[in-house]
Amino acid sequence: MPFSRIESVSFRNLADGAIQTEAPSVFVVGENGQGKSNFLDAVYTLCYGSSFRGGQDADAGRDGERSWSLRGVGPDGSSCAVAWESGIKAIKEDGKPVRDRKRLVERNPAIVFCHEDMEFARGEPERRRFFFDQTASLVSVGYIDLLRAYRRALKARNQALKDRSLDVLEVLDLQVASYGIGLRDERAAIAREFDERFAPRFESVARLGQRVGVSYRPSWRLDEGSDDVVARLAAARDRELALGTSLSGPHRDRFVFTDDSGDFSDRASTGQLRLLSLTLRIAQAEHYAGVSGRRPTLLLDDVLLELDPEKRRRFMEALPEAEQSFFTFLPGEPYRDYQRDGTIVYWTDDGRFTRT
Amino acid sequence: MKALDDLVGILARLPGIGRKSAARIAFHVLKSDDQYVALLAERIGSLKEKVRFCSVCGSYTEDDPCEVCSSPMRDRSLVCVVEQAQDVLTIEASREYRGVYHVLGALISPLDGIGPDALRLDRLVARVRDQGVSEVVIATNPTVEGDTTALYIKKVLEGSGARVTRLATGIPVGGDLEYADKLTLARSFRGRVAL
Ligand SMILES: [Zn+2]
Repeated sequence: MPFSRIESVSFRNLADGAIQTEAPSVFVVGENGQGKSNFLDAVYTLCYGSSFRGGQDADAGRDGERSWSLRGVGPDGSSCAVAWESGIKAIKEDGKPVRDRKRLVERNPAIVFCHEDMEFARGEPERRRFFFDQTASLVSVGYIDLLRAYRRALKARNQALKDRSLDVLEVLDLQVASYGIGLRDERAAIAREFDERFAPRFESVARLGQRVGVSYRPSWRLDEGSDDVVARLAAARDRELALGTSLSGPHRDRFVFTDDSGDFSDRASTGQLRLLSLTLRIAQAEHYAGVSGRRPTLLLDDVLLELDPEKRRRFMEALPEAEQSFFTFLPGEPYRDYQRDGTIVYWTDDGRFTRT
Repeated sequence: MKALDDLVGILARLPGIGRKSAARIAFHVLKSDDQYVALLAERIGSLKEKVRFCSVCGSYTEDDPCEVCSSPMRDRSLVCVVEQAQDVLTIEASREYRGVYHVLGALISPLDGIGPDALRLDRLVARVRDQGVSEVVIATNPTVEGDTTALYIKKVLEGSGARVTRLATGIPVGGDLEYADKLTLARSFRGRVAL
């Protein structure tokens, strides 16, 4: 559902009230610290029930308020609401409570482009796993279940290693192997599919004259079956007992961006890494649209700023069809060049929004 | 009023009862006739005296052994393993199951410090060994801990001669037997799979 109106009370520095958003794209222009990103965060929170910047729900209250609430209303009158009060968060869809947040991705997923995405390009394995897990989760509630089961079993297994509960470990090995192999195979499939979407997109914006793709380096080899993994875990028993932690498995998987001569991100310039991170989001949005047959909501938090005009143009051309797009800009940016028929432009100053 | 506040406070600790509902119940009690209030207090007070755990299967009962364990109509070669005593009531309500039960009382969970010793498993093993049990159906919830416990039980029953099966479920997703409707439960009993 696209949003025709966003209402907020005590959310970050946004002034209480409703902001009309009945347009295919909404631009928010303002200096830093005036509420641009907070507005995108409000939209994101309505899509997923939590902030895209991480952090505690308690910190989202304006001036230390003990409660805040958001509500999004669609053109058809449907609504979603997220409210936080004294440590308890309530998410509602059309007035009915949502029990598990994973259900929200079936409704209105947003793809957010922000500065922090650079972490995916730079190479922290954990951040890259996060990105691909998110990409898979957008189109598969089953993937979320598998990931949760693996993480829970892994935590239990690490505890059993610390407790030296050998008989329970035998059983947890079977579980970790079974959920983990499921996860590995899902990740291998998504990496293959993603690579095909990502490589041509990246070349069209970066123009490097060589293919940069995504390759999956699983901790457990792709040809290892359940018995092989269980044997591998048994063989590492003494070392894992000594360290009190699980040394292999999908929590150690890596995703690598490769070019003709190996690891691309090792040698890429900052500009290239920035383009890479933006293209990851483009491919993520396309993956979502391709698999689900629906268009995502796009949130772009001041990400054009650091691109030269030519790359900006290419990036804007590469942006996939969206259900609705929200952009933030600094006042000096040529945002008028990106305006289309019906784009709503707001100026923001100290959390107050003025339509131009 | 202290007496009223005290009652609201203790009612609000009940599952699913917030302070608003607790206050509504307390006022209802105030308005009710004395006979009803005395009966309510007596019923609550005597519940834990009257209802005990069955010494054979571990489910709730007023008479020991319980109705299921003492019925000649039940198939003693078939034992259904559940986590909690109230799960027995859920399965009984489905009228799909003709065997007997074994209540574990907990699930194996290293993160909560619960090991296999907490599960009355020696009793289960003894029942299987001494009473000609041919099939053990594990009906623990489809969670990671439910899976751990099911696999552990299969391990301890290896070589006992009994077939070990599990109610048909997919990946652990945190489902709860308590919320399974009767039809789903009936289907999963028919579709149980070998572990
Ligand atoms: Zn009994």
